[in-house]
Amino acid sequence: MNVLETMKKCIREALPDLDMVMGWEQGFDTLHATPLFMETAEDVDRLILGPTCVQSLAVHLPSLKGKKIGVVVKGCDSRAVVQLLSENLLNRENLVIFGFGCDGVVSLSRLKKKLGALDFIESAEKKDDRLCIEINGEQQDLPFDDICAPKCLTCSRPNAIISDHFAGPQRTPRIPAKGKTALEKFEEKSLPERFDFWKAQMQRCVRCYACRDSCPMCVCRDHCVAVSRNPHFVSQEATASENFMFQLIHVMHLAGRCVSCGECERACPMDIPLGLLRAKSTEVTSALFNQEAGLDQEAVLPLLSFNIEEETIEEHD
Amino acid sequence: MNNIFILRKDIDPWIKRMAEERTVFAPVHEGDAVVYRACDSGLRVELDTMPTTSPKEIVFPQNETLLTYTRGSGNEDGSVGVETTETLPSGKAVIFGTRPCGARGLLIFDQVYNNERIRDAYYAARRENTLTITIACNRPRPTCFCNSVGGAPDDSKGSDIMLYPLDDGFVAEALTSGGEELLALAPSSPAGEKAVKAKAKAGQAIETMGSPMDLSEVRKKFDLCFTDLAFWEKHSGKCLSCGICTYLCPTCYCFNITDEGSEEKGKRLRSWDNCMSFNFTAEASGHNPRSAKAMRLRNRIGHKFVYYPELHEDRLACCGCGRCITACPSSVDIRNIVKAVQEYSHE
Amino acid sequence: MSNNNQLLPQMATVIEIVNETANIKTFRIRLNDKAAMNSLTFKPGQVGQLSLFGIGESTFVINSSPTRMEYLQFSILKVGEVTQKLHQLKVGDQIGVRAPLGNAFPCEKMKGKDILFIGGGIGMAPLRTLLVYMLDNRDDYGKITLLYGGRSPGDMAFQEDLHEWTSRKDMETVLTIDNPFEGWDFEVGLIPNILLDMAPSPENCVAVTCGPPIMIKFTINALKKLSFPDEAILTTLERRMKCGVGLCGRCNIGEKYVCVDGPVFTWAELKLLPSEL
Repeated sequence: MNVLETMKKCIREALPDLDMVMGWEQGFDTLHATPLFMETAEDVDRLILGPTCVQSLAVHLPSLKGKKIGVVVKGCDSRAVVQLLSENLLNRENLVIFGFGCDGVVSLSRLKKKLGALDFIESAEKKDDRLCIEINGEQQDLPFDDICAPKCLTCSRPNAIISDHFAGPQRTPRIPAKGKTALEKFEEKSLPERFDFWKAQMQRCVRCYACRDSCPMCVCRDHCVAVSRNPHFVSQEATASENFMFQLIHVMHLAGRCVSCGECERACPMDIPLGLLRAKSTEVTSALFNQEAGLDQEAVLPLLSFNIEEETIEEHD
Repeated sequence: MNNIFILRKDIDPWIKRMAEERTVFAPVHEGDAVVYRACDSGLRVELDTMPTTSPKEIVFPQNETLLTYTRGSGNEDGSVGVETTETLPSGKAVIFGTRPCGARGLLIFDQVYNNERIRDAYYAARRENTLTITIACNRPRPTCFCNSVGGAPDDSKGSDIMLYPLDDGFVAEALTSGGEELLALAPSSPAGEKAVKAKAKAGQAIETMGSPMDLSEVRKKFDLCFTDLAFWEKHSGKCLSCGICTYLCPTCYCFNITDEGSEEKGKRLRSWDNCMSFNFTAEASGHNPRSAKAMRLRNRIGHKFVYYPELHEDRLACCGCGRCITACPSSVDIRNIVKAVQEYSHE
Repeated sequence: MSNNNQLLPQMATVIEIVNETANIKTFRIRLNDKAAMNSLTFKPGQVGQLSLFGIGESTFVINSSPTRMEYLQFSILKVGEVTQKLHQLKVGDQIGVRAPLGNAFPCEKMKGKDILFIGGGIGMAPLRTLLVYMLDNRDDYGKITLLYGGRSPGDMAFQEDLHEWTSRKDMETVLTIDNPFEGWDFEVGLIPNILLDMAPSPENCVAVTCGPPIMIKFTINALKKLSFPDEAILTTLERRMKCGVGLCGRCNIGEKYVCVDGPVFTWAELKLLPSEL
């Protein structure tokens, strides 16, 4: 039995004891998966697993607290679940986790930059380390690394790190390719260059808050400081500086909590490289506290704990 | 009116000439997004794909300053005066390279913002000074459904100039006197037989779209399913309540008004707002008539397919561009929801 | 209101402030432009947007009567950001006003009828404008009855008015509080219950009610028990509003906008709207 069929079988067996199980089904075209909330055995027939299953379904979990929910997770999604559990935002006993080993997911943004508009896609299939696509009547055969989500290039945890059921074989973690990371490359630029870069990116932001609302760790939901009038930290003006202010608040609120799922960047309709901001914050917090978010359910958040003297923080006079 | 032919390479000089009198907003690439930007020349204009953002921002910007205010010095009686200044926009503009659905979106706006009942001074000041140059769609996207909501890939309604694409250029036709003036600025040659060919091509595009959706029962069925919250919960489950669909939508016109600045000095700002957000209807008392995502999605569908038609001679507040489908991080497909309403039966 | 820009407020001066209860204040204001003030007209039930620059705008019913145009009056319950700031205003302070907005009570159609006012808490504000208007046109209307309730004596606003109304011979005034209180000489009990005890005749009578949503709900139930027809029950609705002119899209109930089609609705009209209160 292949991974998908094994997963379907697991879900069908567990479903009678659950309110629903969240997975993915094919969306409006072959490149788009869409969340599938399975309540009946027939719903399970529509489940898909593969390189288009990009959404982190963990984002829906906090709002479903109180229900008995099953959730299908990739390795990166499972880290969000772990982090939510460690923050006591979920009840483990009401949660059934269906894990699998992920082969990587497609970045539509990277694919678009390779192929142009993706409107007329006929088929897309991952074959080993390539993505075979039929678009505009032409066959394209692309190295998967060129069009996968950036997070997949360095993925050290392709397998769900927490699960009640695990379907299919374990995948081997990626050995990060030699060479500089996107963040390292970016930081080679001068400060004025970096500032100009962000000004250009941030002026495009339309403040739709998709980055916030797709973030599994953004749990303030309807009470976000971005729309608060009191305190009035950010204005409604969608100028580069106000947009940047919002994005920086977002990053700060995720410091030590961001599980690097990349959903913010993927959700952005304006293709703003928010992952760079996240990567920087993760680099800083893991260097300071020697801790990575979403790996240990028992871990205490670095910014929720306090040592008189932090080993890695140099005190100023 | 006469048809002329404009070579692709002549688009840039044409924009440059128009830009001497008007601000020309045309689609350009930024990241993987295609957005409208003020162009004179030198920016590579993208005329072959549907822009990510909609042209509404040109007549209804994301932020519009309604007035500025300054608190004066104290009066003799100890009270303090406030000076306010109305800030109406001025200047002429061109929307270059929208699709027919985008032009239709502006007509849907007009019904609300500039009609017998009300004339929104800010909107009218922009709209009445803006001309629209539309590109017919030879190849509608699979997510396009303009043919279901009263439009068509070659619909010229609401446009001052129509451009019908061919491989090497565009057959152009002015539909208004304003359009004629702009077209006179274009380096061009007579269209001749190209006109027939280009228009036929655009006219055939609708055949690639599949049959229009049957929306005949939607209004009646909406009343029936209104109180069926489970129905709306099912269809809104995967929605993230973000603002992508509303902000990219050519017809979504709801806004917020906030004062930005201090009590001493600042501006009153009108900003796009999102009916899918909890805060949209949250009242100071804590009460919220649309507290659940399901209720908000219901209102969004209701507004576009039931309430607006009720007020505006059965026209829909949806232009079928499909932006809400393609840009949604959860791939929520509004067509499926409307279809489910149409086919609703209570068991 | 400026003719060509409905979103632009006119400036006004606070001329008098009345402390009604611990959390309700009444503000009397006059437009700074004397000609505009002199030509201003409105109908009972219409609302206005009050602006504090740097804070924002909020909607309130004009609760003075168009028969007394020396000022516009607003009674404001302290709940949110804008109302908290409004409560800090002093006489002489400047505020922005956009008024009148919305529809009004059908005063003409109500002529010749008995009128029953049922107000709870701050919900008395929209009733006051109509009541004062009717008392100033007393001959046009039949029997006028007021049932007004608050949680406790300290929550009863409009003391000045109550004094007048309770002593008038040409109207009946019934006051009630939720629980017994020392020194309270009037009724004790919830408004809908007192209403049922009063058992007013629905014959040629129009009931006008406003108050907290839950009170409106039970009051309408009581009126239905008393056989009031749906068309003869009027209420005013409240919703979060921004523009006040039917554009911004948040105060709708179905295709009706509370800011332009309301705030006054008959129960017959409300029953036809989607249930989204």
